[in-house]
Amino acid sequence: MGGLLSYFSGLFGSKERRILILGLDGAGKTTILYRLQVGEVVTTIPTIGFNVETVTYKNLKFQVWDLGGQTSIRPYWRCYYSNTDAIIYVVDSMDRDRIGISKQELVSMLEEDELKKAVLVVLANKQDIEGSMSALEVANALGLSALKTRKYQIFKTSAIKGEGLDEAMEWLSNTLLQAK
Amino acid sequence: MYTLLSGFYRYMCQRDQYFVLILGLDNAGKTTFLEQTKTKFNKNYQGMNLAKITSTVGLNIGKIDVGSSRLNFWDLGGQEELQSLWDKYYVESHAVIYIVDSSDRERVEESKEAFEKVVMNDNLVGVPLMLLANKQDLEGCLKVTEVKTIFNDPLQTMGQRESWVQGVSALRGDGVQEGIDWLVEAIKRNSSARPPQQKEIT
Repeated sequence: MGGLLSYFSGLFGSKERRILILGLDGAGKTTILYRLQVGEVVTTIPTIGFNVETVTYKNLKFQVWDLGGQTSIRPYWRCYYSNTDAIIYVVDSMDRDRIGISKQELVSMLEEDELKKAVLVVLANKQDIEGSMSALEVANALGLSALKTRKYQIFKTSAIKGEGLDEAMEWLSNTLLQAK
Repeated sequence: MYTLLSGFYRYMCQRDQYFVLILGLDNAGKTTFLEQTKTKFNKNYQGMNLAKITSTVGLNIGKIDVGSSRLNFWDLGGQEELQSLWDKYYVESHAVIYIVDSSDRERVEESKEAFEKVVMNDNLVGVPLMLLANKQDLEGCLKVTEVKTIFNDPLQTMGQRESWVQGVSALRGDGVQEGIDWLVEAIKRNSSARPPQQKEIT
């Protein structure tokens, strides 16, 4: 029945794709969100709660949710899971100490039924800093090779410099166009 | 009566699940091949724009149904750094598709070396293997027989397993059907060694 409904809703214009930006605190989620929306670096403070913006990329509309990443508010992520088309998971590539925690959060999140069909984009952020982890290191540290039924892609990004985000959005819009 | 009903239920709702790994160097055409395969075998599937495919750093998946079998594909990134992730999938794979860019004469040796590592791995012993000489639509590319000659050494020494070399053009779709047809049969013949997962299709 749900399939039928979504089929009909698909007939009426392009619907907004729902994207969640998740990751530990200080990973750069808010900076990425506003990089995508206004194309500039904005001054951010730690997010308590969420930011939500509509981002248009090549005729595709995305409703992008950036949720706060601090330990105490991570349990609330799950309230936002339903109808999510894609997850952008942001990792601070310099933060080797907490990549293990980041992995745990990612793993428990991906076990959720509501996110079963969501595409995963991992952003290895802060690549402008020397000595940051490579894509392979991030993949290994997050245990991504355990994912066998989900399409995922890693991008090296620097939200401050604006690098890598275009490629990620290009890939995402291609993928989401085909998935529907 | 119960047997009849449960048999019917199984016939309708269960498929033999097989997992197929798609490997090869970066830019060999693995993702294009996967998209082409999905388009050919799934009705109503709207494929990705093949011109917009970028290099994979991660995993693409796909599934097709052939008769009572379901093939699940894993298409992994082929860049040198990422090749270390390949072996994480070997134990669960029922077959390997290895794709060579026949138009890239300079890297064919590198491709062969990566191929040798794959076929020598203990976790892939006996697993059917299909070597695809891709990009046959390009002028001046290596012919299938030439690719066969170059890969002859590893093909000879890789031990007892079924193998098949096929020329394809993933972009145009030539040879895809033949390749998959062979693959399904080979996987079935090997199913006593690597049995399928029985799963209800959702």
